[in-house]
Amino acid sequence: MNTTADAIIIGGGIVGAACAYYLSERGLAVHLIERDFPASGTSRACDGLILQWDKLPGAELSLGLASQKLWRDLAAELDAEIGFEQAGTIFLAEQADQMEAGKEKANALSASGQRAEVLTPGELRELEPELALDLAGGVLFPDDLQVDPRRATLAMLAAARRRGARITTGEAVLNFQRAPGDNPAITGVITPGGSIAAAHVICAAGVWSAEITQLAGLSLPIRPRKGHILVSDIRPKKIHHPLLEGGYATTVQLAAEDVQVALVAEMTASGSLLLGSSREFAGFDRRVSLAVIRAIAQRAARFLPHLAHSSVIRSYAGLRPWSPDHLPLIGPCEQAPGFYLASGHEGAGIGLAPITGKLIADWVTGAALPPYANAVLPDRFDPIKGSKTNVLI
Amino acid sequence: MKTTDLAVIGAGPGGLAAAITAAQAGLRVTLIDESPRPGGQYLRGTGRQATQSIPRAEQRTRAFLQQLPHPHIDLQTGTLVWGIDDRTLALHGPNGNFNLQAEQIIIATGGRELVPPFPGWTLPGVMTLGAAQILTKEYGLLPGKRIALAGSGPLLLAAASALLAKDARIIAILEATHPGAWLPHVNALWGNFNRLLEGNAYLRTIQRHKIPYRFGQTVIQATGKGQLEYIVTAKLDPRGRPVPGSEKEIAADTLCLGFGLIPNTELAQLAECQHEYSTTRGGWVPARDKYLQTSQPGIYAVGEAAGVGGADMALMEGQIAALAITRRFNQIPALQRQLRPLRRFAVMLNTLFAPPLALNTLASDETIICRCQEVRAGEIRQAVRQGNHTLGGLKNSIHIGQGQCQGRTCGPLLTRLIASQTHEPPEAAGQFRPRPPLKPISLGALAQEQRP
Repeated sequence: MNTTADAIIIGGGIVGAACAYYLSERGLAVHLIERDFPASGTSRACDGLILQWDKLPGAELSLGLASQKLWRDLAAELDAEIGFEQAGTIFLAEQADQMEAGKEKANALSASGQRAEVLTPGELRELEPELALDLAGGVLFPDDLQVDPRRATLAMLAAARRRGARITTGEAVLNFQRAPGDNPAITGVITPGGSIAAAHVICAAGVWSAEITQLAGLSLPIRPRKGHILVSDIRPKKIHHPLLEGGYATTVQLAAEDVQVALVAEMTASGSLLLGSSREFAGFDRRVSLAVIRAIAQRAARFLPHLAHSSVIRSYAGLRPWSPDHLPLIGPCEQAPGFYLASGHEGAGIGLAPITGKLIADWVTGAALPPYANAVLPDRFDPIKGSKTNVLI
Repeated sequence: MKTTDLAVIGAGPGGLAAAITAAQAGLRVTLIDESPRPGGQYLRGTGRQATQSIPRAEQRTRAFLQQLPHPHIDLQTGTLVWGIDDRTLALHGPNGNFNLQAEQIIIATGGRELVPPFPGWTLPGVMTLGAAQILTKEYGLLPGKRIALAGSGPLLLAAASALLAKDARIIAILEATHPGAWLPHVNALWGNFNRLLEGNAYLRTIQRHKIPYRFGQTVIQATGKGQLEYIVTAKLDPRGRPVPGSEKEIAADTLCLGFGLIPNTELAQLAECQHEYSTTRGGWVPARDKYLQTSQPGIYAVGEAAGVGGADMALMEGQIAALAITRRFNQIPALQRQLRPLRRFAVMLNTLFAPPLALNTLASDETIICRCQEVRAGEIRQAVRQGNHTLGGLKNSIHIGQGQCQGRTCGPLLTRLIASQTHEPPEAAGQFRPRPPLKPISLGALAQEQRP
């Protein structure tokens, strides 16, 4: 069956769901296509922390702060339990030099209107009694947020559906429809169920975006960056804030090829403790590596020694869509009019999903754009701009 | 890292046979079992009175067991295999957490009991046949004072026999299937006289104690305040649906349930062995070649873990896999010939005593299906109606299968619940994907450094 829509979104993860949410809010007829089921990819293999202190000042932090505000609005707008909490996060300093780095981050964020409280070792332990006794201190960032990514994805999709969006699951996009002749414009997609025509086609396929853009003749510089998470049942004990070791920001910003491990600990609404994190380039292999989960357990035991007897019940690995300059790719592609990207968020996809959806809605409807919109335009990468060598992946 | 020529996981009949057979050819074998003693659930669960003869499979299993300790076998008991990465196994036991690199692997992880859920099945006093047998055999305890048994298949009789050996008071044995279904399977009985005699011995014990043994009946509800007090029984029509008006309430403090076994496939799944669905072998099983090798070269699967068929079959399969690994191929055809009638018999038992799919509709919307996270049947049915026809989809739309047991208990139930609602074949629902650790281990143990 052949149908039409104003905008087609490819991908039903949190970014695709946010695009559907904000596009349908502007009154557009949206059709989202997900090849498996909602949140079946990276959006259910990640933590739900929405941080600002890991962002570099400039476009990255501007995006983060804008999205933080949108998440607060969403928590009120969405008529569903999405595990939203202003839990804050605590930066943990193992040694004095990390404490200095923490203070610098505190100052930088304070300048942007974010609260930050530098904690002495005593104050840190008062907030989190399970922590090791020998830490140099920490910084509490009370404005950081937490959501349940899977529930938030489902809630945004449900809201979009109530506004008339069509959501097709279990169907993959086979190809694009093109304008006749030499016109490079994209005019729709072809699926096993038929063709869908639309003036705007948005690729929100996360780490699998390169597969999609290849159909449009575009190469993407997005690479999968693998991460592991352990799930622990620590009841009756608990931690009160999400905890991240100071070295975490470094592992985020470094594009090292080998495995980077830094502790991230987050309690979920159901009472389990999620323990991360790792970063490595391992292709599309989502198998759990025994060595990596051991390394994560070691970092967890280093900072939370009282949890040594808690049981680990599961582990999983997910793939983050890594982009070479650590900024996402959001907006239209010059080489293929009508085609937009909303991808390449690496580990910040949950945090940046709302601002991504809103920017896409701004582009599609021709609304005024914030200054940082240009910094994330996909065309900053050569292959997308249309250089002769369309080979970089 | 520790290395071994052959790692055998599970020291029940199949694993013991495999380990001894391989060690006899000079291989360095590491035999691993979660229990403190080798022998598996099989030796733990044998219920027999002094007057009964010892079944052939038990004699053979004990003969293999007597060859331990063996100079070529490193026996690791109380040890859990919680992960596998290519041919490296992650183990946790009394010696801590360590990796074992194996040239070859035989998975002999056995099976577990299947119990379709019904209202009241989570009450204290309701347990599996296996749990009742462990209480009686291992601890010399009777599970209760007025015991009812319900389920299907030979394990029902074996458990009853074990309980009677300890003078338990059994008020009823309810076999859900109908005896009329036997006739088409007469061929499979050929060559299985030992198994029949074993069953007959159990039957005579039950008759001597004058215990009501009813075919075509089961328990459809259990009630009581904080503890089982009453069971409601009903007759089942040939399709397994309760016959209205046939319900009877009976006082009981213990209800033991067992509707046959399903294979423990989690390790084979984690090793990324291809699986297939077989209703005649207990559900999902790893695909194997004639030497019992899985789709992963060097990884073999034997016994209940690869298809429910009893101890005789597990013993044969363990030997065949070990002979193939030690390249003594000339000895294999004889064993394969002995295996054939056993397989036919297993197919017959599994077909005859398969719990009817309709039993999966007994659960009311209030009945808890996922015990770890207290997810009820109503929530699951609604999610299925909304289009979640796979275990993966269900896990994503409602929080299920992510607690302490990681879907080990609810996964097979969900497969059947979905199938009874969608009328699609059970395999269409897929499986949960197991992740390490296969069973919970402590964070401290996981963090432990490898011994050099």
